[in-house]
Amino acid sequence: MKEKTPSRIELLQGTLDLLILRTLVTGRAHGHAIAKHIQRTSEELLQVETGSLYPALQRLEAQGWIAASWETSDKGKRAKYYQLTTGGRKQLASEHSKWKAFSRAMQLILSPGEEEAQ
Amino acid sequence: MSSFFRKLSWLGRRRQKEAELAEELDFHLEEETEERRADGLTEEEAGYAARRDLGNYTLVQEDTRAAWGWTLLEQFIQDVRYAFRSLRKSPLFTVVAVLTLAFGVGANTAIFRLMDQVLLQLLPVKHPEQLVLVAERGIRFGDSWGDNDISYPMYRDFRDGNQVFSGMFCRYPTSVSLGYGDRTDRVAAELVSGSYFPVLGVTPVIGRTLTPDDDRVPGGHPVVMLSYSLWQKRFSSDQSIIGRQIVINGYTFSVVGVSQAGFDGVELGYKSKLFIPMMMQAQMTPLSDRLEARSLSWVTAFGRLKPGVDIAQAKASLQPLMHNILEVEVQEPTPQHYSDYDRAQFLKNSVDLLPGSQGWSSLREHLQTPLWVLAALSGAVLLLACANLANLLLARATTREREMAIRLAIGAGRRRIIRLLLVESLLLSVIGTAVGLGLAFLADRVLLAAYFPADSAGDFPISSVPDVRVLVFALGTMLLTALVFGLAPAIQNSQADIVPTLKDRTVGGKQVFLRKLLVSGEMALALLLLIGASLFLRTLANLENTGPGFSTEHLMAFSVDPSLNGYVNDRAKDFFRRLNDDLQALPGVSSVGLTAIPILQGRGWSNPVIAEGYSADPGQDQRPICDMISPKLFTTLGVPIVAGRDFTVLETRPVALINETFARKYFLGRNPVGLHIGLVDDRTATPDTLNLEVVGVVKDLKFKNLRDPASPQAYFPYWQDEKSRFMTFYLRTRVDPQQVMRGVREQVRHLDPNIPVVDIRTIDEQIGLSLKSERLVASLSGAFGALATALALIGLYGVMAYSVARRRREIGIRVALGALQSDVLWMVMQQVVVFSSAGLVVGGLLAFALSSLIRSQLYGLQPHDPFTYVSAAVVLAGAACAAGLIPSWRASRVDPMHALRQE
Repeated sequence: MKEKTPSRIELLQGTLDLLILRTLVTGRAHGHAIAKHIQRTSEELLQVETGSLYPALQRLEAQGWIAASWETSDKGKRAKYYQLTTGGRKQLASEHSKWKAFSRAMQLILSPGEEEAQ
Repeated sequence: MSSFFRKLSWLGRRRQKEAELAEELDFHLEEETEERRADGLTEEEAGYAARRDLGNYTLVQEDTRAAWGWTLLEQFIQDVRYAFRSLRKSPLFTVVAVLTLAFGVGANTAIFRLMDQVLLQLLPVKHPEQLVLVAERGIRFGDSWGDNDISYPMYRDFRDGNQVFSGMFCRYPTSVSLGYGDRTDRVAAELVSGSYFPVLGVTPVIGRTLTPDDDRVPGGHPVVMLSYSLWQKRFSSDQSIIGRQIVINGYTFSVVGVSQAGFDGVELGYKSKLFIPMMMQAQMTPLSDRLEARSLSWVTAFGRLKPGVDIAQAKASLQPLMHNILEVEVQEPTPQHYSDYDRAQFLKNSVDLLPGSQGWSSLREHLQTPLWVLAALSGAVLLLACANLANLLLARATTREREMAIRLAIGAGRRRIIRLLLVESLLLSVIGTAVGLGLAFLADRVLLAAYFPADSAGDFPISSVPDVRVLVFALGTMLLTALVFGLAPAIQNSQADIVPTLKDRTVGGKQVFLRKLLVSGEMALALLLLIGASLFLRTLANLENTGPGFSTEHLMAFSVDPSLNGYVNDRAKDFFRRLNDDLQALPGVSSVGLTAIPILQGRGWSNPVIAEGYSADPGQDQRPICDMISPKLFTTLGVPIVAGRDFTVLETRPVALINETFARKYFLGRNPVGLHIGLVDDRTATPDTLNLEVVGVVKDLKFKNLRDPASPQAYFPYWQDEKSRFMTFYLRTRVDPQQVMRGVREQVRHLDPNIPVVDIRTIDEQIGLSLKSERLVASLSGAFGALATALALIGLYGVMAYSVARRRREIGIRVALGALQSDVLWMVMQQVVVFSSAGLVVGGLLAFALSSLIRSQLYGLQPHDPFTYVSAAVVLAGAACAAGLIPSWRASRVDPMHALRQE
């Protein structure tokens, strides 16, 4: 249904949750804004699919890591805003450190020797 | 956990969540549209782009909902709703399916409930599985009240000498009169050893239980425990009953306790109301002192196995003890006169242990085989019902081929379709089971009422209240049937061939074959059930026709026991004589006779005899049935005296009447009149006194029951017996016996208002009662057979009608090409004949193989009775042809123009 530009990177399983949590650190946001933020911040490399975004938001809400509330947007429309909870912050911290460890491990294997250079 | 509860709360406000999701996604679309427009697209293009970006709106919704975690449940609910709708759309199918299932499940549940209560339920006591019944096998001497009864001294020897039981107790059921306040009733009681309650582990609700200390001195313990139900009904749950006095058989007893609720003694079908110490035996059963008699086997003895000891070990350990007991008993008067051979045999008697976890019950022994037979039959009915339903569903599957093909074409998974169809079957099952449970409870009520005589109404030994076990059974049956009849059609349906089906081409010849196979199977089961039913029905008819050897018309009977009100010996005999005279004078009564042992009630008093000029073969049973009777008993019954004469009231010399079989066996062609016989007394055993002169020979009659052929019988004048207690009066009437019954009751009341009239009924009623288990089996197997036939015919008709509808086009072509109506008719009937006869052959073989299992239940015919087999097969074949004829006839009337244009 959707054409994909080869320059875009498909999200790894499970990373979307981490990205959503990270995005919400700066403050509350609605679904569309979260998607746009991830896209822009990643210099358009990461495309968040709507079909994954909303299930992911529901999942995080069910876990209690984010909380939702209906508020009026800047343009005066009702929108569902999400914000990070305390549990969400803890989860973000732990996921973040896991991700760092993972990416370092990937780096070590894929480009040995570059570690010191960095 | 908290995530689970959040999801659960979301489930509750699912509609709101749906609306919110829709709003959220709409908002997303608007934002996206706006953004695109800002990028310079037109309003319309921006909208399309935004939608493209969002992707499949429904899919997003579905995926999001999946995150709520209730997809499976929701789909299940969807399936159930859909199933409901589709069942409502085809009411005829639904009704037939539900009724089929209801009968199948209902029949099984009804039988299971009877089986559960009669055969499976354990005693409500501590560790019932440790209980065993102790019995003696081999040559018994003296009187025995039952095959598993032993004498009290033998019980005592086992109790004191065994190494394998942690405790033993014995009991004896007896009726007593209970007086309290101004009322006297006859109630069921149990004489129990002091160890009864401690060994069973039954506790009191108030007061205390009986203990071994209440059971030490003969006649010295006037204490009694009440059953919970008696305490509730008769004493209104009065807490202050403890220590009060009640009168039992004229003796004053004090109440020491009330037993735990639900405990009614250890015999199923005998709800004991009073528990009386064994040592009070002489007071409770007047005229006999049995506690020291080794020649009387009358108590049921139970032992509780020590932990870790099994029945085989216990039996082995008890055998030496048994031998010691026998060594003592062989010194008793009767065995002393045994031949060497008999003595050696007697000393080889063995101890037998039977599982006692269910207590003891003659009811269970009588009903065991019939109930298993009925369970097997009802299982076959259920199987047939399943086959029929599978058949119906297959037919339905065919009409739904298009629907399924469309579903598959637009992307439904095959699994999802199977699931949907299984949910449909499950729904049918649930409804069918619910209706079936209702039917079962109704049926059990009717069965219990039919099985137990009306005078025990309100006190059924078996409750008809549904319990958890029955519900679990029904639920299990339900799930199993849903799977059995639903799976094959569901799989078949999910494999619909999409393209040809959508193009309206006829497919699925395999399905028709499967359906024919099912119908053949149904025919086989139906034949099996029909043969079974007709075997049982003919057994019942044979038993009813064979008769007792006398006319039962205008014949009635009742029993009295004046000893319950203190009449003994001469006073009792006087009572009987006066009652006899009074009854004789009643208008409408033509003749009266009495007997100590009621006829055709399974009872008999066997006593060893000797006869003039007759020497017994060793090992042969020398114990004819003996009875104490009055003159004119045989006149009353209508049994002719073929030689000699009847007793007279003036008889003073010791005399006897014998029956033809007795005469044949002991006097071998000699004229027995004037010859002598002698009764071997258990206590004194003086076999050489041939003191009874035979004065007459009566024609043979059935004594114990209708099944057993006539055995040797000897009769003596009742007033020549030292003890007379319980007597049954027989009255031949000139009018309907029902009109006389009131007069009879009045006469007895006139003589003594405190003596109850028991079992007053016509002999026809009594014979009906004695045939109750045969009637139960015959009527139920008849109903099952009829049901099975109806189901099989419905199946057959359905499959043929469907096959004809399917072949309309082909038949049209045949007719167009010149086939005659009769050719078409025969073409279809041929199929009916082929697969019905295949079913009949299989069913016949099955019946042939299985029917020998019920040999013991039959009377007057063999399990392989050819007439039964042939007639059942002919009936079923005829019915099958009739059922097949309708679709065949319809096929023969197919108008080719019509049929060919239709497609």
